[in-house]
Amino acid sequence: MPQQQMNPRGRDVTPILLGIALTVFATLPFWAGKGLVFLAGIVLLQMVFALAFNLMFGLTGLVSFGQAAFFAAGAYASGWLARMLPDLPFFLTIAFGGAVGAVLSAIIGLVALRRASGIYFAILTLALGQLVYTLIGKTTALGREDGLIGIARPVLDFGVFEINLAAGDNYYFLILTASVVLSAILWWVWHGNLGRILAAIRQEPERVRFLGIDVRRYREYAFIISGTVTALAGALVAPWSQIITPMLAHWSYSALPILFCLLGGRSRFWGPAVGAIVFAGLEHATRTMVGVAELVVGGALLIVVLAMPGGILGTLSALGGRYFGTKREAGHD
Amino acid sequence: MLADLLLIAMNGLVWGMAVFLVASGLTLIFGILHILNFSHGGFVMIGAYLAFTLMNMLAGSVGIVAFILIAFACAAAVGLMGFVVDRVVFERLKRVDDSYSLIATYAVLLLCEGFVKTAWGPNFQSVYPPSGLEGAVFLGNLFMPSYALFVIGAGVIVFLVLDFWLHRTPSGKIMKSVAVDPWMASLLGINVNAIFTVAVVGGFVLAGLAGGLLAPNQSLSPMMGGVYIIQAFGVIIVGGIGNVRGAFIAAILLGLIDAFGTVYVPQFPGIFFYVAVAVIILFRPQGLLSGIH
Repeated sequence: MPQQQMNPRGRDVTPILLGIALTVFATLPFWAGKGLVFLAGIVLLQMVFALAFNLMFGLTGLVSFGQAAFFAAGAYASGWLARMLPDLPFFLTIAFGGAVGAVLSAIIGLVALRRASGIYFAILTLALGQLVYTLIGKTTALGREDGLIGIARPVLDFGVFEINLAAGDNYYFLILTASVVLSAILWWVWHGNLGRILAAIRQEPERVRFLGIDVRRYREYAFIISGTVTALAGALVAPWSQIITPMLAHWSYSALPILFCLLGGRSRFWGPAVGAIVFAGLEHATRTMVGVAELVVGGALLIVVLAMPGGILGTLSALGGRYFGTKREAGHD
Repeated sequence: MLADLLLIAMNGLVWGMAVFLVASGLTLIFGILHILNFSHGGFVMIGAYLAFTLMNMLAGSVGIVAFILIAFACAAAVGLMGFVVDRVVFERLKRVDDSYSLIATYAVLLLCEGFVKTAWGPNFQSVYPPSGLEGAVFLGNLFMPSYALFVIGAGVIVFLVLDFWLHRTPSGKIMKSVAVDPWMASLLGINVNAIFTVAVVGGFVLAGLAGGLLAPNQSLSPMMGGVYIIQAFGVIIVGGIGNVRGAFIAAILLGLIDAFGTVYVPQFPGIFFYVAVAVIILFRPQGLLSGIH
């Protein structure tokens, strides 16, 4: 299912934009302040969160409104384990976060997809997500409403050499590497056989069923892959922010990936990443003005949703197509 | 013992009727336009803040009649905003995917929050019940705040009026026919677009009314819209989305479940609402009642 199908003379600008974005993120600690580097780390993980969400939303056509539960599950599981067993290798604690997310998304996906669809599925996942939020906020072992604090950035031991993640910008580069790897995995799923089946399910579930494909099982696959990658992103955020609170599981956090997808354009793989960067920029620029932040973000979102159905990337691509005189696929909305 | 049970049940009822007041307009709009309006909670919040300002302007004692008149004024003001939102936003959402309308109205909720923060500030405000409702009354040996009884009464009256209008009046029946089949209704000479506008404005009037009536029910803060909308979503989805009677029954049921759950498992207050919503949708995905009734 090639998203940016070109005719032979067309130029695809995606690799160039991707190269620029990667260069900016990779060189950021050398020219930007500490605050901006911290923000960039969060944005990178939110990008992974949104790309994973879009596998389910843009590709498979499922709207879940409880994805923050998986992000929080990953963050809390790895944060809790790291505090319980500080000597455990770092990658094991992250993997534990991912595993908890996988199990939770398998359970929720299995139950929710069996019973509900469309707007009912959205509200059901919203209720289950809020359930996780309330449970975390009332569990003493997870710090109740105050959250878990003082999550350490450990030392990576590779035998011949060690990397101290607490020193300098080392943890930022770990986040960058992990984001690239996770995005690559998602890209591979999106463009591979599984991705084609998922896209077909979004467009024509009935016909796909006639081909002998178990539609519900494939929707479950999409849900579980998305939930697991989301949990891994959550697990990586815990040592970065060093404090995690139940707000990570709140429904307003579940709305973020949907915003990013619609803002950037959900029919393209990189759309949510564009949305995440633009949203972070808007929020950062208006952060000191009480109330104005909501007005600007809400207004921008409304304009994009009402006037630019393909999102920023879709609109840019349509404009670019006109400019370069090449015809591009307008996305599959 | 019996008195304890009754008290818990009354608390559940107060919660249920408060949420029903919010959910009634939400389910009306969904029933007619099939748009799940995320911003509804935001307009309830604006209604409550307007009531706060109006009551402060009257300074001193606000009687029950003045309080109800203020709530009507809030309903009118928010209804007017509904007209604008209908023209600017909802008009464009009729032909798009559910997820788009959910996010577009979520954007309107953000605008409401931004508006409240710039106009009234980010801090908590409190509204006192009007004079005549600030005390408590004894029902047998049950001690109830009179404002709580007022909320229950208001919820029941709004339900009865809405139900009577939808089922017993010509305009309500036209509304129902448009909900069932807009195309067929247009063939019968019904101005479907006008009905859509009436439904949206009606939904917003109910939001403003709920805001005005519920202003003394809790502290006002810019987060209030989000809290109410999630509870109202649960109530209308359990009741059968678009169904006013279903929402009424669901509000009472969920209120009672949450109240008893919180008393018997105090470690996890507030959790039973979500458990009940999830379990009921799992067993009856279409809600308790379905269709518009």
